[in-house]
Amino acid sequence: MRGALLICKKEFMELSKDRKTMFLTFLMPFILYPLIFGMMGKLNQKDVASRKGKPSRVLLVDAPKVLEPLLKADAKTFELVAAPQGDVNQAIRDQKLEMMLEVEPEASAKLVQHKTFTLKATYDQSDDSSALALKRLREAMQKQNTAWVQARLSTMGASPELAVPSRIQETDASTPGLAASKVLGAFLPYMIMLMMFAGSMQHGIYTTAGEKERGTLLSLLSTSLPRNQIIWGKLIYVFSIGLISALINLASMGIAMGRMIPAEAGAASGAGHGLGALSSIANPVTLSLTFLLMIPLGLLFANFIVLMGTQAKNTVEAGTAIMPGFMVVIVAAVFSMAPGIEKMAFLPYVPILNVSLAVRKLFSHQANALEYVIAFAMTVGLAGLLTWLSTRLLNRESALFKV
Amino acid sequence: MIQLTDVYKTFTVKDKRSRAKKRIEAVKGLSLTVKPGEIYGLLGPNGAGKSTTLRMIAGLMQADQGQIQVCGIDTLAEPEKARSVVGYLSTDLNVYGRFTPRELLRLFGEFQGVEAKVAERRGMHLLEKLQLLDFADVKMEGFSSGQKQKVSIARALLHDPKVVIFDEPTTGLDVLTAKTVLDLLRIMRAEGRSVIVSTHVMPMVDEICDRVGIIFDGALHGDASPKQVLESWNAKTLDEVFFQLAARGAAEV
Repeated sequence: MRGALLICKKEFMELSKDRKTMFLTFLMPFILYPLIFGMMGKLNQKDVASRKGKPSRVLLVDAPKVLEPLLKADAKTFELVAAPQGDVNQAIRDQKLEMMLEVEPEASAKLVQHKTFTLKATYDQSDDSSALALKRLREAMQKQNTAWVQARLSTMGASPELAVPSRIQETDASTPGLAASKVLGAFLPYMIMLMMFAGSMQHGIYTTAGEKERGTLLSLLSTSLPRNQIIWGKLIYVFSIGLISALINLASMGIAMGRMIPAEAGAASGAGHGLGALSSIANPVTLSLTFLLMIPLGLLFANFIVLMGTQAKNTVEAGTAIMPGFMVVIVAAVFSMAPGIEKMAFLPYVPILNVSLAVRKLFSHQANALEYVIAFAMTVGLAGLLTWLSTRLLNRESALFKV
Repeated sequence: MIQLTDVYKTFTVKDKRSRAKKRIEAVKGLSLTVKPGEIYGLLGPNGAGKSTTLRMIAGLMQADQGQIQVCGIDTLAEPEKARSVVGYLSTDLNVYGRFTPRELLRLFGEFQGVEAKVAERRGMHLLEKLQLLDFADVKMEGFSSGQKQKVSIARALLHDPKVVIFDEPTTGLDVLTAKTVLDLLRIMRAEGRSVIVSTHVMPMVDEICDRVGIIFDGALHGDASPKQVLESWNAKTLDEVFFQLAARGAAEV
């Protein structure tokens, strides 16, 4: 094993000499993600604040004057505007106003006769401001309808409870932050897979096909180090760099996202605010078990990359050979985010995807020990098989020399 | 001591047009011995089997048949042990551009199991001999091919090998650098090492080789001193021997 560690040390030493790659691998994520999520958060907060603080512009067509006093009274929520020139629907789509509200001409009479009148609301579902206007109208009308019903019941001398035969009493069975944890559980395997593979791919190509291309591999092979230790050293390096890269990216992303979570969202999820919310939904046991699964998965990826890299004649060929594998990982990662996959009975037996499933269940507080063990053992087995294959193939002279 | 006994090596290549697999006999029944304190010149045209022979001696390739021993170690049975007594240099080799010569030598010292202090001392001594000491702490990215070759030589000799295998050591080098390399080969002979070099440069063979063997079409012709080889082929220069072999090969075809 000494030889493998020496080779790994050599790879890290070589990496440490390349300041640009060092910066992009280890420091860039700590600048990039806070910047991206910070900007996204700021824009989002600004957008929400501007929509919340602004009344919805409504074109009211209300001949019987049934709703006009109601909307005018709530000037903070609704602003009555004059009819725009041209098509009203187009004006809504152009965001000149949020909604047109047409009240039935007989509304006044129907109210008196204890009948139902109709309000016609025209809005743009694809626009958040317009959708907010409808939501505000629904809330206002719910209150108003309750008041009208109470008035009707009172006129009839009936109990106000006549119109409310039952009430729902809600109890949330979820633990604090479970909803956020489930989202994280679906999202995390995707990020882990992509980051580990992408993070180790270029380093793997550089250290295998790259060494062959640059003519340095032969000097390693001419030393007294056993070949299997050379390949293991490279494997350890590619695996380590993939794992480090994924952890750095996830940590940076976690910190950046934690800062982005607004106080209300954290409180709503029951998990508190910002970073506290993240730390409460991802407890040490969950994180440790997830990390434990990342090890064989990273080894599997590293093995695939090293295997392809050692068989390729140059870096271009290696990149071309590894790309289909990357596509498989992307598809698997996207699939792992799909809703409801945890219900598929065969999934615990599908390599890579069973890791996603296990992580997902860990974060959903539905961990299944057997499924976890199957995912772990299967990934370890596959990684071991590929290690054996890589070691055997590197010993083939056709892989080492242009013969 | 290097000893090859009836060594065979075959490669299988694919014919791109017919898609049929072809077997190429790169080395056919080759036997030779290089004694300690001797420089053996392995000559031959491109594709004759020189590099394959040297790689088999260095424990980088395995012979299909026959036996290869370096310092009494069977390269097939114990390739790692064999490589620990061999210093191998080839034109196919390159240096790690991101390292300085000092860093590279320290690292390869570790690979070869040489103590750090010893590796440092021996490495600097070799760089001095190769007139590269001033560049010991300069990144090799910008080195000329001659400078890189010198570092590779230092790397190959760092673990004090008993057997030295140089595959075309002066290719691409200027006259001055080539002379430095030749001087070093003479020193290694004087130190009692078994040295085997392959080359195209005939004056170099005349100058330093004690014995020569000419590989042609995978087989060895004339394993003797340069003078004896010339006499047996009735030629004035080794180039002439080459031409005669080539003409004979063409006639056989």
